[in-house]
Amino acid sequence: MRPSAATRALLHLANVAVILFFLLPLIAALIGALQSERSLQASTRSILPPEWTFDNFRVILSGGAQKGTIFDQATYLPDNVKKIYYALANSAVISVSVTLLTLVFASLSAYTVVRLHLRWVLWLMNVNVFARFVPVIVLMIPLYVTFRRFGLLNSIWGVIIALTGFLLPYGILILAPYFASIPRELDEAARIDGCSRFSAFLRITLPLSTPALASYGAIVFVIAWNDLLIPLILNNRAEFMTLPVVIASLVGDVHVFFNLLMAICLIALAPSVLLVLLLRKFVVQGLAVGGVKG
Amino acid sequence: MVSVAAARPAAPGARIGGVAYRFGRELPPRVLGLVMNLPTMLTLALVLAYPIFYAAYLSFHKVSLAQLRRGIFPFVGLDNYHRILTDPLFLLALKNTFIFTAFSVTLEIVLAIAIALLIDQKHVWTGRITKFLILLPYAVPPIANGLIWSFLYNFDFGFLNRILFTLGLIHEPINWSGEPSTALLAVAVPYIWRTLPFAILLIHAALQGIDPAMYEAASVDGANALQRFRHITLPLLAPVIVVTLVLRTSFAFAVFDEVLAITQGGPGDATWVAAWYSYKKGFNPPFDIGVGSASAFVLALIVGALAIAYVKLIYRRIQ
Repeated sequence: MRPSAATRALLHLANVAVILFFLLPLIAALIGALQSERSLQASTRSILPPEWTFDNFRVILSGGAQKGTIFDQATYLPDNVKKIYYALANSAVISVSVTLLTLVFASLSAYTVVRLHLRWVLWLMNVNVFARFVPVIVLMIPLYVTFRRFGLLNSIWGVIIALTGFLLPYGILILAPYFASIPRELDEAARIDGCSRFSAFLRITLPLSTPALASYGAIVFVIAWNDLLIPLILNNRAEFMTLPVVIASLVGDVHVFFNLLMAICLIALAPSVLLVLLLRKFVVQGLAVGGVKG
Repeated sequence: MVSVAAARPAAPGARIGGVAYRFGRELPPRVLGLVMNLPTMLTLALVLAYPIFYAAYLSFHKVSLAQLRRGIFPFVGLDNYHRILTDPLFLLALKNTFIFTAFSVTLEIVLAIAIALLIDQKHVWTGRITKFLILLPYAVPPIANGLIWSFLYNFDFGFLNRILFTLGLIHEPINWSGEPSTALLAVAVPYIWRTLPFAILLIHAALQGIDPAMYEAASVDGANALQRFRHITLPLLAPVIVVTLVLRTSFAFAVFDEVLAITQGGPGDATWVAAWYSYKKGFNPPFDIGVGSASAFVLALIVGALAIAYVKLIYRRIQ
């Protein structure tokens, strides 16, 4: 049943409003990142700036070596910004390691949940459901004290371990229902042909579950890439900071102006936004099944 | 998607992973279950179970810089809890957290239902653009989200004021995040912006599970759009709305990144929330980790009550 022209016009209008709401902050950030401090402050009532420049990105990506025209007089650039490549590398290494570790751990556990019928495994599942409700700040204080004792502060490892633990529960919630949807007969046929349970898992269940693995992998990567609190508390030296921690460290720094901040924010959000848009279908699936965090 | 060859077990001679087979038997399920769950159990024990108990332990002890250096934490009983429960700032932080959560979650659920219905209208082509862009905010790092909005809010040159000037709606700039009366709202809007996609997706997924025949039958019986929504859509969405509500509530209770980026608790103490309180007490001078733990534990208990409600709901859904 087709709605009337008036109804459709209204629906189009509603869509435009939603699209504007979602896009405006990002467009503003982009405009902000493409101008100088002077031009930001020059015309405070018009939407488009009088001049455009890529200098903010040039300064950041050259680690402060190239000043560009707009930073001629600027002598101070925070150490964190100069070491932006450390932050990029740390963020990448941490997110990729966490994604791989959680994929392996969660698929092993999810398989036992759906195929082995053990009472204590179901109990572990309940712990999992419960686990994702615990606010991260509650765990960070004891983790800080513990990691301090083990010398895991200011290291990549501490952050990887903590993030892996926090993101595992989501994985079991996303993967278990998908594993359960694979016909048990496939498993059994493989075992009749002489496969052990474990190799049936490796050869049958896992290859058939690529969509669920992609869903969970993409979601984990994004959450790990975006996470602030864990690396903020565990690491405070510039060499070990992730991008979100660098951004947080610039909040309230009077020497860093919004044009530079917006450029850093865009650099930080580009990888996760691109990944999510590329794997859109899988992310939507995973979120709908696992009800992951927002 | 998966080739036939991958799905079919390999010929017996080519078996590589079948260690158990070569010994003529395989691990009994009980042992295999233990081995396969070992990594998960170890990680959860280290990062979840142990810290929860340790947080409880720390909350009954005096733990500050001096004690951390010496490694001895003197027992102080309920002193930390007494201190936070008589601290007006903690009570304010709790109150702010409740207001923030109630406001942002309510608005979010209403918006999510509306937008999910909107993108479900298949004959409106702009809906496909909305659907494509909906995931965008989900991927933005919360701290970057906060900073982008604090740029939008800026009193001197922010884009919110620029847009309002251009539209001729205001003549003097508005200090969005700097006024105590609007500061909490200024944190809530970016939070809603970032977390709305999640709520929309959950509800949209449930919407797609509703049989179109039900709407047709109702139309034949003379029900208008509002009645169809009221008597078919809403009741069928109820379970997923409750799940979304509980999930969003428990996460909103722990809001942190946007507060750090936009207001740092200010102006004055207008936007102190529970997680911010624990962070400031535990990780800023004088590093009172005992008090930080106690306040975090109060937050955990509130969210824990919600979690139990959620687990019960999930069980009802499965049965």
